Amino acid sequence: MEIQLKLYGSSKKLSDKDILNIELPNNSNIEKLRIALSKIISKKYLKNNLQNLSKTAAFFSEADEVVNDNYKLKNKELISIIPPIGGG
Amino acid sequence: MTLHTALVKTEEEKISSEEAKKFILSEKNGAESIFIGRVRNENSGKKVTAVTYDVHDKAVIKSFQSICNDAKSKFDKSASIFLEHAKGYVPVGEISILIAVSSGHRDEAFKICRYILEEIKHKSPIWKKEHYIEGNEEWLPGHSLRPKEEIK
Repeated sequence: MEIQLKLYGSSKKLSDKDILNIELPNNSNIEKLRIALSKIISKKYLKNNLQNLSKTAAFFSEADEVVNDNYKLKNKELISIIPPIGGG
Repeated sequence: MTLHTALVKTEEEKISSEEAKKFILSEKNGAESIFIGRVRNENSGKKVTAVTYDVHDKAVIKSFQSICNDAKSKFDKSASIFLEHAKGYVPVGEISILIAVSSGHRDEAFKICRYILEEIKHKSPIWKKEHYIEGNEEWLPGHSLRPKEEIK
């Protein structure tokens, strides 16, 4: 399966585009997405201060609500990655 | 109408304190408190030229409305609140956030203003990228929205 990850904040370092497509095993949940993300970062983006991103980020479903690690992902689902925030 | 919340695309318009003052004006409310946050030229010893604000539009507006309504319930139901935050590239000296509150009395007006600002920092999905005089840039660290019990 594949999900579309909408990038915000520091996660934008992962791609020049707004959305990153990530391949996952079928029936994956957010926990699996964190693992996949961690692998992508350690392969390509270690020098970009993103080492903690897979642990510290929250994820929003299409309903714009935080989903927990057990949330089951659907094929082609659009998920937003929410790195630690700091407006104002 | 006693509540206005918006994200302001800085390439197209600017946050206006005059507009805010007009919005909160009310004969019922004798106290007004206005907080203006501007981009400053230094952070942690680095010379800053601008900040780019990235936002999750829908979730930010939802959080702004929820925070402002909470503030009214907590401190003064008759308060009028105007809240705008910048979205996009903001040079040093320009406004990044404006919170204007009118309330029955000064204590509530100050408290609502402070409450909204602190809650935004912990609840609204907004990110800052600082641009430095040397030409480099950096996303700033922040507060994680991941449920605490999940972070090992």
